[in-house]
Amino acid sequence: MTDIILALLSGLVGGIVIALLPQASNRLRNTLVLLFSVAGAVFSWRVAGTVFSGGTIRLSGEIAGLAWSLQPDPLGTVFGLIVATLWLFATVYSFGYMADEPRQRTYYAFLLIAFSVALGVAFSGSLLSLYLFYELLTFATYPLVIHERNDEAIRAGVKYIAYSLCGAGAILIAIVVTHGWAGSLDFAGGPLLARGGLRPGLGWLLGLYVAGFGVKAAIMPLHRWLPEAMIAPTPISALLHAVAVVYSGVYGILRVVYSVFGHELMAQMNFSRALPWVAGFTILAGVIIATQQDVLKRRLAYHTISQLSYILLGAFTLHPWGLAGAIFHMISYSTLKITLFFGAGIVAKQTTKIRVSDMGGVGWQLPWTMASFGVASLGMIGMLPLNTFWSKYYLMRGSVAGGKWPFALVLIISGFINALCFLPTVVAAFTGDRDQLSREKGGNVTLMVAPTVLLAGIAVLLGLWPGLVWPGVEAVVNSFFIR
Amino acid sequence: MLLVILPLIPFLGALVLIGMGEKVINMPFVASSIVLILGSWGLRGAFAGMPITYEIPLSGPFNPTFQADAVTAVFVVLAAFLWWAVSIYAPEYMKHEGRIRSFYICTLLTQSAVLGVFVAGDLFTLLLFFELMTVASFFWVIHRWNEEAIRAAYFYLFFSIVGGLFIALGLVFIRAAIGGVPTIGTGPATFLDPKFFPWGLALFLAGFGIKAGMVPLHLWLPHAHSVAPTPASALLSGLLIKVGAYGLIRTGELAGWGMELASLTRWLGPGLTILGTCTMLVGVTAALLQSDAKRLLAYHSVSQMGYIILGLGVGLFLGPAGGMGLMGSIYHIVNHALFKAALFLGVGVVYVGTKKTNLYELGGLWRSYPVTAILMFLAVLGITGTPGLNGYASKTMLHHGVSEAANSGLPLMIWVERLFNLVGVGTTASFTKLFYLMFLGKPKQEKITQGERWQFQVAMGFLALVMVTIGVRPNLFVDACAIPAAQALGMEGAAATAMGLSFWNIGDIMGMVITLALGITFCWVGLKTGLFHLSPPVWLTLEGLGKMAFCQLQTALASIEKLYLTLSTSLLSDLRARGNGLLLAIHRLDTSGTLTAGGRSLADISLSAGVLIGTLIFLILAYTYIDLGSYVRLPLSLMR
Repeated sequence: MTDIILALLSGLVGGIVIALLPQASNRLRNTLVLLFSVAGAVFSWRVAGTVFSGGTIRLSGEIAGLAWSLQPDPLGTVFGLIVATLWLFATVYSFGYMADEPRQRTYYAFLLIAFSVALGVAFSGSLLSLYLFYELLTFATYPLVIHERNDEAIRAGVKYIAYSLCGAGAILIAIVVTHGWAGSLDFAGGPLLARGGLRPGLGWLLGLYVAGFGVKAAIMPLHRWLPEAMIAPTPISALLHAVAVVYSGVYGILRVVYSVFGHELMAQMNFSRALPWVAGFTILAGVIIATQQDVLKRRLAYHTISQLSYILLGAFTLHPWGLAGAIFHMISYSTLKITLFFGAGIVAKQTTKIRVSDMGGVGWQLPWTMASFGVASLGMIGMLPLNTFWSKYYLMRGSVAGGKWPFALVLIISGFINALCFLPTVVAAFTGDRDQLSREKGGNVTLMVAPTVLLAGIAVLLGLWPGLVWPGVEAVVNSFFIR
Repeated sequence: MLLVILPLIPFLGALVLIGMGEKVINMPFVASSIVLILGSWGLRGAFAGMPITYEIPLSGPFNPTFQADAVTAVFVVLAAFLWWAVSIYAPEYMKHEGRIRSFYICTLLTQSAVLGVFVAGDLFTLLLFFELMTVASFFWVIHRWNEEAIRAAYFYLFFSIVGGLFIALGLVFIRAAIGGVPTIGTGPATFLDPKFFPWGLALFLAGFGIKAGMVPLHLWLPHAHSVAPTPASALLSGLLIKVGAYGLIRTGELAGWGMELASLTRWLGPGLTILGTCTMLVGVTAALLQSDAKRLLAYHSVSQMGYIILGLGVGLFLGPAGGMGLMGSIYHIVNHALFKAALFLGVGVVYVGTKKTNLYELGGLWRSYPVTAILMFLAVLGITGTPGLNGYASKTMLHHGVSEAANSGLPLMIWVERLFNLVGVGTTASFTKLFYLMFLGKPKQEKITQGERWQFQVAMGFLALVMVTIGVRPNLFVDACAIPAAQALGMEGAAATAMGLSFWNIGDIMGMVITLALGITFCWVGLKTGLFHLSPPVWLTLEGLGKMAFCQLQTALASIEKLYLTLSTSLLSDLRARGNGLLLAIHRLDTSGTLTAGGRSLADISLSAGVLIGTLIFLILAYTYIDLGSYVRLPLSLMR
């Protein structure tokens, strides 16, 4: 009980402390930031320990007659663990990346607050609290998106806010209807709408939810804000726009499918048959557009759009293996994508190169970085020593077992286009002239490279031994498919 | 335990080499010596029909398992020996290529991965090492880092990745079909859900076929094998493509060796036979037209892989009586590894001294390279199938297999037998050409910077020694290796057909002699008439088509993206413009009270309105079509 409060508070309190702190020395501030992040992570792990050992943590109350609750179930806990663990890596990377950037106080303050809010999304036990934290996440991350404060950043920020709020509006309407039909918004008692069975309008409701959460999950055609938001500093792009924020959308859809509608009800609805196609389209379109981008971060952004739909596809197969693949992909994709973004950030800081076509020879200067980038690229294709093979394998297995075998083909084709998308970058990085490159030496390179290499190593470890996180995946699947 | 140690030795070697920094020792030699001794000693039980298994009990979905039956043992010992011989050769040669340390590291890593593929006990473990092998050997191909090498390496990498993806998808299908992890060395799989089983097999066929250089998936092979440094080429051609053949053997095992195949998988035998025949023909035809020695050898790898695939196909086709085809294939895998490695190494020796691999610029080199010429001659005799050397034995066995298939009366198989002989003629012709142009004829090369080195001679000498031993006593290998291997795969009748097989009957020898004579004649005619300089138009060759397709792919992706962007932007802006126009028009209509509103006629306005309403109706229709039923009653139900 106290764990969950402390986990949620450590980020918030930390953010306020940092904001109130005078422009003190960087060292003191960084120590405090690290301290609060570690505290948040430790308490999240303790929460996870309780949940996975079968315990229940519940915190609930009422606002204006509506019940809210915080009750992490296995799905929420897995999401929370991903957030908490990767936040640490991103924080350390930020120390290196932001070392010579302005407005560091604002940056770290909101980074910590966003941490709390993201954990709140993960640990919510009802639609109401999920919605509140989901909205808050938009606002907590807005200052991070507009960190540069130039016109382009402001425009990207406006787009981000506008898209997110429109999506949130759709969700709000859907929540009201759900409350009317189900009488409760709490996830604890099984799928909310399952008891009512099929009824007219269910398809519309699902459409509203998917459109609403789909904004943050960047389902095409609701994805336009994501490539724009890449104007943010790289740690933010890596953590928020490849993992935490977009995952909150994905997590929302997973919740809707498995906690609001439930897979049995979904299977009876005609509309749910169209959803995998939307995801399949996004998978292919996203990665195809990515191959055509020259700015590396934009390429990664479109690639994110494609990969998020892998998770959605797994959820939409409505099959235990598909869901297992989706959950495993949440874990494995996040490690690799952060590696890719970190790599891009190091290259940008150290050589000022942001375009793929300029990157010849970069690999010789930053061998560890580009090696990690290469490993992560292989993972995105779905090659075996990397953890994404297993998620892809289970996604395909779920598709085949759920009678949707064309999506297995979609995943294979997407894997090949992924190869076209990233491998030329890696090879080009090692082909240019070795000597003629200037080096800017921006940021603290050790603090940036260490988390990058470590994450790539974790990805390989999980690829060789997926069993390390498999109990968590199994717990999620069991919590929805076996009651 | 031994099975894990075998691939681990070269891997640790690579780590040591990385840790040593700039100082370089011949670690591949050390590692492969250990592997050779340990492997041939430790796996002696496997040859005798006692398979070893080992499992690393990890939790979760992946439990790496390892096994070694006689097939694995043959491949492991072959790989270790070949690596050992090449690593005697490599240090001296790599002085001319540079970057010796990175070459050693990827040689060790590739060896580790290759051994891993052979000792894998299930297809997941196999795929793991298969993908590692792709990555490690990629650095071989790209070793020179020039434009040609990079292009070839891309080709190699993308083809291999597609191969890996095919196998992954095949795993999904096979697992759906048999309901468990497909294991290796446990005989045919029993399938519960027959729908997916043939698809899984077909995907495995394509996936391993890419590695094996099976037509039409061989496009990467000649490029990759000819730009890699020579020791790497020798191992790529000698062993890495055999990994594909090993995969095909294990795929056949899933379907079942030595038994009448179920109706769902019966296509496998004839399918492999046809693919093998095409591979032989395409390879040998292309090889005849090459002027570059390394490319000629690379195309011959394609052609000889055709023999191997053909043998496997015939073995599956004949079912219980297919022992000859299967054993012939395994035998040919070993033989081809030996003579192809020797040939590549020989060409490398010449390259070191002359910096040339173009056959038409070389000549009369036997004076400068007497030992190399003799060793090369032995290898040429081997690959052409001359009685007394190793190629003769395996080709005879394959020929027996094909004849048996032809006796079944199927017109396809009768044609396959004829083409089999034709390819033999082509092989002889192109190797006569290679040897004649390189070592005989008039000297064309003035300056030879470096003659022979003892390392080169020793490495090739060991290969030649084994070749001659096998050639003189072909039954040794059949009894000790091929029969146990076939029996391990479930071919019960193998011993009966091949035990004490006589290779020295007059019919077989005469057949080979006729083939050789025809081949030499053909070569003479070809050299005189300039037939070998013929180059077909680019679009006619598979390479050209493949290259075109590859270039088109990027363009296609670009145009798809452009189309998508154009469509989405124009749709958005059109809708926005129409909406704005409509608002404006309504506003003006309201204020002016006339039929034209601010210069816009009523027709224009109604068009805009029509488009908007049409879009809405379309959306609603599309929605209700997807969401069948009477869900349009939403507003009503909300009011309740």
